[in-house]
Amino acid sequence: MTNAWYLYVFFAAALVCAGLLGLLGKRNLIKLLIAIEVIGKGVSLLLLSTGFAKGHILTAQALVITFIVVEVSLVATALALIINVYRHTKSLDVRNLAKLKG
Amino acid sequence: MIILFVALPLVVAAVLPLVGKVSRRVLPDLLANATLVFLLVYAAVTGRALIAGGPLLQQVTWLGEAVGIRLALDGFSLFMLVAVSLVGLAASLFAIDYMEHYGGKANYHALYLIMIAGMNGLILVNDLFGVYLFLEVAAIASYALVAFGLGHDELEAAFKYLALSVVGSSFVLAGIAVIFGMTGSLEFGAVAAALRELDAGAVVAIASALFLMGFGLKAALVPFHAWLPDAHPSAPAPISAVLSGLLIKVSGVYAMTRIFLNVFGLTPALSAVLMVLGAVSIVVAAFLALGQKDMKRMLAYSSISQVGYVVLGIGLGTPLGIAGGLFHLFNHALAKGLLFLTSGSVQHATGTRDLDEMGGLAKRMPITAAANLVGALSIAGVPPLNGFWSKLIIIIALVQAGEPVFAVIAVLASVLTLWYYLLMQRKAFFGPLNEKWAAVKEAPFWMTASTVLLALLCLGIGILFASTVATWVQPAADVLADGVQAVTGSWGF
Amino acid sequence: MIVQTALLIGVVLFSVLAIALRDVLRSAISLAVASLLLGIVFFKMNAPYAGVFEISVVAGLITVLFILTIALTRAGDEVRESRLVNWVFPLVFVAFVAVDALVMKSLLGKVPALAAGAEAGTFGEVLWKGRTFDLVGQIAVILAGVFAVLALFRKREKHD
Repeated sequence: MTNAWYLYVFFAAALVCAGLLGLLGKRNLIKLLIAIEVIGKGVSLLLLSTGFAKGHILTAQALVITFIVVEVSLVATALALIINVYRHTKSLDVRNLAKLKG
Repeated sequence: MIILFVALPLVVAAVLPLVGKVSRRVLPDLLANATLVFLLVYAAVTGRALIAGGPLLQQVTWLGEAVGIRLALDGFSLFMLVAVSLVGLAASLFAIDYMEHYGGKANYHALYLIMIAGMNGLILVNDLFGVYLFLEVAAIASYALVAFGLGHDELEAAFKYLALSVVGSSFVLAGIAVIFGMTGSLEFGAVAAALRELDAGAVVAIASALFLMGFGLKAALVPFHAWLPDAHPSAPAPISAVLSGLLIKVSGVYAMTRIFLNVFGLTPALSAVLMVLGAVSIVVAAFLALGQKDMKRMLAYSSISQVGYVVLGIGLGTPLGIAGGLFHLFNHALAKGLLFLTSGSVQHATGTRDLDEMGGLAKRMPITAAANLVGALSIAGVPPLNGFWSKLIIIIALVQAGEPVFAVIAVLASVLTLWYYLLMQRKAFFGPLNEKWAAVKEAPFWMTASTVLLALLCLGIGILFASTVATWVQPAADVLADGVQAVTGSWGF
Repeated sequence: MIVQTALLIGVVLFSVLAIALRDVLRSAISLAVASLLLGIVFFKMNAPYAGVFEISVVAGLITVLFILTIALTRAGDEVRESRLVNWVFPLVFVAFVAVDALVMKSLLGKVPALAAGAEAGTFGEVLWKGRTFDLVGQIAVILAGVFAVLALFRKREKHD
């Protein structure tokens, strides 16, 4: 069982890493959101495979479905924000969003 | 029926848009505020009777059959519920006048109530995944509320907030997966019992690190704070008040302490990490606040600094330290809520947040100026206001526990805090009146009323601090001080 | 096992493509393909409901939302990505995957686990008896999303 778990977690970690790198390096707002989605894929794979390895696949399945519902809400909100940003700046470049400084 | 804390705001939020079709302003205002009044009364008046015989556990039944909704109310969650409904109500009263020119009021109140429901849900759940889920409910509502003004700054701040917050919740979920993989369960009590049986220090440390990053981002502790000074000032004033006063504490501090102290059990290493994070936040954010020209930005940095005090006190782990940290959490929620609301009154009257442009506003807005002074002195820790007592308890606890270095840091930083708050008060309200503001009038009724309410609470709790600590803070601190026993012993279903 | 590995490699590949491709529309489509493959992985893990959700909601609905947004924001200038990032980040990613491959197995081997009893019942029972509060949370999240979109696209009343 652990063998299979190892494989899934390996890929989940790779997905999360790819997403984080994209979030750090990309400048297009939609690309940033896609990177967030990739992180989400990694996390849902991690959750489901953990349940699979423990023999708790039904619970894990319920968690993943809830996670997907959360993701839809999040993506809808984020895309609405992006469209509003675009109406203001006519661009999707994150560098145009530099008026506030961290 | 403690599920009302979650269900009632949700139901009201769902019908508000329909109500908004009938009456644009009056009915939504009335319904939203009545809901919050009800929750406050329910929590503050009947709450203590509910948990008189130990923590209240509720299994909800639906059509006569038990379903999987299990809620737990103990001293700590009741304390947080009272804080949420109190500051939530004040900010909602303030919004009656303040949100008038934004439009879409029914929509605003609906989102606001969903955020409150999310926070209440997070406080009442007793399983790890529920913590994540309600964290996201509150967070998604708050992204939209930060951007509610639809201006450039608001949108930018909301997007940055969203991007960082999502990373935070991903870390939380990864930590939950690790714990789930190890123990095979998600319920607090079962996880705590299983972890004790397993004795898996190293893996718990990995999970703790993931939770620390996730909740640290939500609580805006110093290495993870970049989003807060953008998001909180850009939001409409009542939302800034709730974000700074409540959301970072519920989704950051509450979730973190509940899991670390009650489920994992506080280890010396974890305690040291929390204290260092708290101390660094206190100092760094206090210096950053000093250089700010924007009133709300200064308040935002001050929030980071004060959350540092809370984490320092709770991280210390002694009963007195925990009590001081929790008391400071409550006091900061009141005072910072108050200060963000008064800054909203000022912005409403003058249209600016720039401290250099203000000046002499006390002559035109005496009530707002007085309320602001109370809030500023309270956070800075001037006796006899409430903030003084909580900081004093934290410092005494630090000295007692043999941590003089942290105690000195806490004292010096509070001097710094006093300095920048006096700077703010002087620039904005005292001195000669800037001619531009000759026509400025005092804020409308509900805005003044809610700030006065919070200011009176700050004063009253400062004077009656001993009984407040005994009735509200101590039961909460006892739950945390009990550590793992609190959930393994009495939380079983 | 081999099929699963191939599918997972596909998921990672298309996810990386989704981030790396210059054209946003293409990257949205590769993200959808990645979701589709992940959905099949879920099916093979005996999680048919999660698989259906992943395919219909993530690969379907979310992709539609992405494409809608891309269509609405088409007229803007092309966003030039940083050159440095284009060179350095793939290297970082490859390095991470290498470390991941070396470390993960021994790391997970150290995770102590309680021997867990197998789950009883069907998915519906687990969801309804065990995780009902999640449904309340889901309703709250959906409400939050709906009201957020309504708030962000509302007509501004004139107030200046």
